[in-house]
Amino acid sequence: MAPRYTWLRQFAAFLLLLAIWEAAGRAGLLNPLYLPSPSQIAAALVELFADGRIWPHLEATFAAALGGLVLGVAVGVALGVAAALVQLIAELLEPVMTLLNAVPRVILAPLFVIWLGIGLASKIALSFILVAVLIFFTVFTGIRQVDRRIVERVVTLGGDRWALIRHVYLPAVTAWVLSNLKIAVGFAFTGALVGEFVAATHGLGYLLSFAQSTYNAALMFALIFLILVVVLLIFAIAGRLEKYLLRWN
Amino acid sequence: MLEGASLAVEDGQFVSLVGPSGSGKSSLLRAVIGLQAPLSGTVETGLAPSQVGILFQDDALLPWKTARDNVALGLTLNGAERKAALAQAEAWLARLDLAGFGDRFPRHLSGGQRKRVALAQVLAMKPKLILMDEPFASLDAIVRARVVKDLVALVERENISVLLVTHDLEEALTLSDEIYLLSQGPRARIIQHYAVPIPRPRDPVLSRTHPVFAPLYEKIWADLSREVDHRAEAA
Repeated sequence: MAPRYTWLRQFAAFLLLLAIWEAAGRAGLLNPLYLPSPSQIAAALVELFADGRIWPHLEATFAAALGGLVLGVAVGVALGVAAALVQLIAELLEPVMTLLNAVPRVILAPLFVIWLGIGLASKIALSFILVAVLIFFTVFTGIRQVDRRIVERVVTLGGDRWALIRHVYLPAVTAWVLSNLKIAVGFAFTGALVGEFVAATHGLGYLLSFAQSTYNAALMFALIFLILVVVLLIFAIAGRLEKYLLRWN
Repeated sequence: MLEGASLAVEDGQFVSLVGPSGSGKSSLLRAVIGLQAPLSGTVETGLAPSQVGILFQDDALLPWKTARDNVALGLTLNGAERKAALAQAEAWLARLDLAGFGDRFPRHLSGGQRKRVALAQVLAMKPKLILMDEPFASLDAIVRARVVKDLVALVERENISVLLVTHDLEEALTLSDEIYLLSQGPRARIIQHYAVPIPRPRDPVLSRTHPVFAPLYEKIWADLSREVDHRAEAA
């Protein structure tokens, strides 16, 4: 079969699955309390947007995820570069980061709520810690794996330490960060949603928690679908950015 | 490890170091360029660091910079205005048959083209001395012959001194004015010195037909074989 029609076959299979699901729902084979039909999920989704109440929640989740992402990347890069270039900083940071990397960092969510309250700050903090640890190790190991021959080339052309950072380490770090950007986006949204799930007054995580407590499976599916679409959209943007900035690769 | 190495490279002279693996040939070049400090003794070039260039076996171009930016890098690192450096880089690329390739990234160039970019990067610095560590080993025969021919023409015209490390006796003979033979390591030494009286300007391919080529090749090969055999017996 022609590979160029793969997406068409996948889409057709997805539509078929939806049709079977819908038919099973209408035939009364599925309990809508647990598994609502696609049309019920679509109705819940339309309702969320029709009355406009989704926007503050979307805004809250986006603010937390993007805030955590930006801060996490910035701090992760700074600490990763510092640890890779200064042995003392590596000795101090690496055990802490290894520990943070080893434990599921979402367990910090309740602690952040105690420290920072139920507002945006605790969600940004959780997203931040998830992203920062990932980016730290990406940058730290990335710089250590920079090709020695390239470093020597710049040194023999007259480059000093600053030239090495500018012409070798930063481009190498950018490549490593960009190649992990999709994972970082996923982590940022995980942090935001889990944070909202634990304690919040706004956000898609809060709505999920609300849907769970009210046994509203249609709303829950609608929110899961919405989160999938949002994250896929950001993945697509990150993919484009990666493709453009890493066009040399 | 190489010890007791004492050699001089005159202005515009092409000098080769040949010897078995592990004789410290590459270490000597790294000591001259400052990448490795000698355990004892000194290296005197009488030149500013920017006047000494090095070509490694791998082209070692920065993969995220275009060919033009790679060539301009040394110039900007040494204080040139970026615009002027890019113009010079473009001119050097053109001189090395790479006009129109300035916007390409190294990954999108062939092995021979990358080697020419690396050469342009070094030549753009207007070096008085170029150190070469088996720079053509990774190239196929035809590309290698073309790059070497261009290199010889350029160093002869610009009166650049060259210190070449190579395993290839033919390459050493066709390119060099002087050849130093190193003993087997560890604690390798310079054990022979040969003058190569093939006149300049040279064609590296036609140099093989010069009357001194074959006898000199046989002599160096015999000395090298004797050294390797002698060390093998001692071991």
